[in-house]
Amino acid sequence: MAHVQDVQPPPTGRFEPGKAGTGASTDLPTIAGESRAARQIAVTIAAEVKPGRLSELRRTLEAMSADPASNAIVPFAALPRTHFARFVLLDATEDPTGEPIEPQLLFMSDVDKPESADSALEHCLGELVDVAGDGLDKLFGACSAYPTPSRATRPRRLAFLREHALAADASYINTVGRSVLQIRREEQLRLAIERFLDLSGIDWQDRTAGEVRGAIQDFVARQEELTWAGDPPPSAALGTRVADALQLVAVPAGLLALSPVLVPALPLFALALRLQEERDPAPHIAPSREHALRLAAQEDHGVQNQLNAVSSGGVGFVKPGIVRRVTTEVVLRGVEFAARHVYNHANLAGVKTIHSARWVFLDDRRRRMIFASNYDGSLESYNDDFVDKLWWGLNAVFSNGIGFPSTRWLFFGGTRQEQPFKDYLRGQLVPSQVWYSAYPDLTALNIENNSRIRVGLHGEMSRAEAEEWLQRI
Amino acid sequence: MAATDLKAGLERDDIQGLLASGYGHLREARFLLLAIDDPALAGAWLGRLADELTTARAKSRGAAVNVALAASGLAKLGLPPALGKLSNRFLDGMTAEPRSRALGDVDGDAPEHWRWGGPTTAPVDLLLLLYAEDESSLATLEQRLTGADAGLELVERLDTQWSDREHFGFRDGIAQPVVEGLREGPPDDTIKAGEFVLGYPNEYGDVTGRPLVSRSADPDGILSTDEVSGDADLGRNGCYLVLRQLSQDVAGFWSFLDRVTSDADGRSDPDARARLAARIVGRWPNGEPLVLAPDGPRAQPYAVNEFRYHDLDPDGLRCPLGAHIRRSHPRDMLDPDPGSERSIAIDKLHRLLRRGRGYGSPIAPDAAPGGGAEDERGLHFICLCANIARQFEFVQHTWLNNPKFNGLYDDADPLVGPAGRSLTVQAKPVRKRVTGLPSFVGVRGGAYFFLPGVRAVRYLASIASPASATPAGA
Repeated sequence: MAHVQDVQPPPTGRFEPGKAGTGASTDLPTIAGESRAARQIAVTIAAEVKPGRLSELRRTLEAMSADPASNAIVPFAALPRTHFARFVLLDATEDPTGEPIEPQLLFMSDVDKPESADSALEHCLGELVDVAGDGLDKLFGACSAYPTPSRATRPRRLAFLREHALAADASYINTVGRSVLQIRREEQLRLAIERFLDLSGIDWQDRTAGEVRGAIQDFVARQEELTWAGDPPPSAALGTRVADALQLVAVPAGLLALSPVLVPALPLFALALRLQEERDPAPHIAPSREHALRLAAQEDHGVQNQLNAVSSGGVGFVKPGIVRRVTTEVVLRGVEFAARHVYNHANLAGVKTIHSARWVFLDDRRRRMIFASNYDGSLESYNDDFVDKLWWGLNAVFSNGIGFPSTRWLFFGGTRQEQPFKDYLRGQLVPSQVWYSAYPDLTALNIENNSRIRVGLHGEMSRAEAEEWLQRI
Repeated sequence: MAATDLKAGLERDDIQGLLASGYGHLREARFLLLAIDDPALAGAWLGRLADELTTARAKSRGAAVNVALAASGLAKLGLPPALGKLSNRFLDGMTAEPRSRALGDVDGDAPEHWRWGGPTTAPVDLLLLLYAEDESSLATLEQRLTGADAGLELVERLDTQWSDREHFGFRDGIAQPVVEGLREGPPDDTIKAGEFVLGYPNEYGDVTGRPLVSRSADPDGILSTDEVSGDADLGRNGCYLVLRQLSQDVAGFWSFLDRVTSDADGRSDPDARARLAARIVGRWPNGEPLVLAPDGPRAQPYAVNEFRYHDLDPDGLRCPLGAHIRRSHPRDMLDPDPGSERSIAIDKLHRLLRRGRGYGSPIAPDAAPGGGAEDERGLHFICLCANIARQFEFVQHTWLNNPKFNGLYDDADPLVGPAGRSLTVQAKPVRKRVTGLPSFVGVRGGAYFFLPGVRAVRYLASIASPASATPAGA
């Protein structure tokens, strides 16, 4: 427990349905060392629910959802490295061959990897057990293979979580290395600057941009609780940067080395895929009004939203055959590579509203997938971004799933069929029973702008640069 | 005109006229909210009304009549709910709980406080829109069309008041999309017919989902046939109609602006007040956009609608980033590539064809207390669209009410948004902020309707009242 005792649960970070918050708190927890940017990891735990325990579990989760941040079961606010977290109950369903799939309890979170820890996952699970051990007993106690109450010790709880952890097959994070602490602090900084400008009594319109910037710099320097802002934002550790650089070179180099094989094989593979695309059934099935309303009941309580798209009822599972299998695996690795090296800072191919997303296979045969995401704005606007901006990426991943609107050459069509796509996706969505955000009032755009405000406190600026920086406030 | 028709293939004879025109030359208008008492009588009445409906073909001289139905109205007439793909949003209605949240219809604007259309008020099944040149012709028209044998009951009569300005004093209805094939217009505003008229290709090149019924459910062959499915096409030439009664607190609007622009001694500054009002709207009262005339309106406004934002004002220094008209129609300011044709293409997916009319007597900005400030006035907001979720609800939620629009933090629409938010006025060297804005616009009622094509009106009449199924004047 020692390593959590110096952490104060932050008073902010509650997700309160129906209530708009007022921005981040000024009273932030202290976490030792912000000197190195933390890489976030996507934690996923999946466990089969025991027969007859589903409704009890549902009730427990429902009670938690009234106060995700501070509920007695898993008080997420006491986990200060957690960006987002959710519990999702998956009902019993069946795979495309009609084989039954038992109900499952999923836990998913986006967590800052502590620099000191050797195994990030191990550390995150340890924190979870320390903060909410009893709560985990109550939740996962309804699942198969969980230790009985008398035997639920820390090591046994940890062992269960470890055994039921699923590695993300691909994950996207808005900005690699921006921690919860940094996000909250930089909002605190912005709010302080805004208040200063509003309440200083100075008529700024008579001043030059350089003078206003100087006044803001002086103000920030005088604030004891903002001393951290005197340092530039943390950068990734040398080891991480070296590893990234190596991967960035190694993957293209490897592909180049394999090109004598890949180049002749690719057209044949593409043709085989194209032929299958012609045959794949893609019925346009609209979700029921009840299903749509059940999802909508969870949406638009604040500026952020969540979604889970899960293969179920035979739909969305990876299509049979080696061609689809290979395509799926290659595309997911491509997504992971792009998320790490290309779309790693506040912009996913023109979409700046996604906080995080992950793709995880839920079964050993790697056919049943969950896509889970935290994003800004409504489901409708998120879908519109898919249709208008990210259609090629969506197609490459999801067209390998049974029932997806028909594509051409993997990338074309599909998502661009607006209504069949939106209906398909809604049909795959399942609600999150509990959803937590550490900064529910901030959009990804806000967070990025806050970081730029902080960066702009440092260094020399020309008049034009200072004018541009001031427009961020 | 015939060439245009052929090009788009729009069936003007079957399209209700409101899609083509707001009937601006008919100064008197009245919207009747009706409940269906007797479906058979109402069906017969609807069958007679079909002959009187103003279409996009007819020149609406003297008077105009259009009709729309709520989901409850379609059900009462006997349209089985299982049939066809009516929009879920339409079927759920404007007052379904998640919709209220998304639309901002909460607190004082929540449906339980509405005068009509709410959970505690009488159901509204049908909307009859009447237009005439003068009040007496309008009264005659109303009397003639709503006899005792109509099987209908009046729920609410929404009177209107013609004006070329909305009540806050600004020219309104300037930026309107042009339905391709019905009219000619500038390219940025010319929108594929299917964005507004069901049964035609939309901006994606798709045909928006619409209600179809099996051929056997239309034994008299009243409806046209959907070529793809072979079903009878109930949706073709129709659209969805959004009606909201929005009250405007004119005195509250001007007194708030007066207070925040007064000098330290509390003396009014009429120029500053007018400038701030213009920044809230994004236009001067004469309609001229701040983007083109940042310093003040010109005597003869020109080019009130021919502009984009990105080249002239990317940072909101002329027109605030959160101003009403930048939200309701962001033009070329949308990600991923502001200033590009791609941005315009995305904007085109979220256009509304506005057909509303004001109500209540006008009041001067500086009207003294007691000078009519207590009377209710506002706007009967009407917009037409093919996709309620992507058009009306998206604009309302993602653009107008969104405190994060355009990268802002805590600004909702300063004119029509909720109370308690801020207006950031971008400026050099640094922005000014007006915080704690009151709400100037309230919601008094609202509902989603379906504005069918004329053949579909005849069909609905026939299922409720089989005897009326004599296609007249076809």
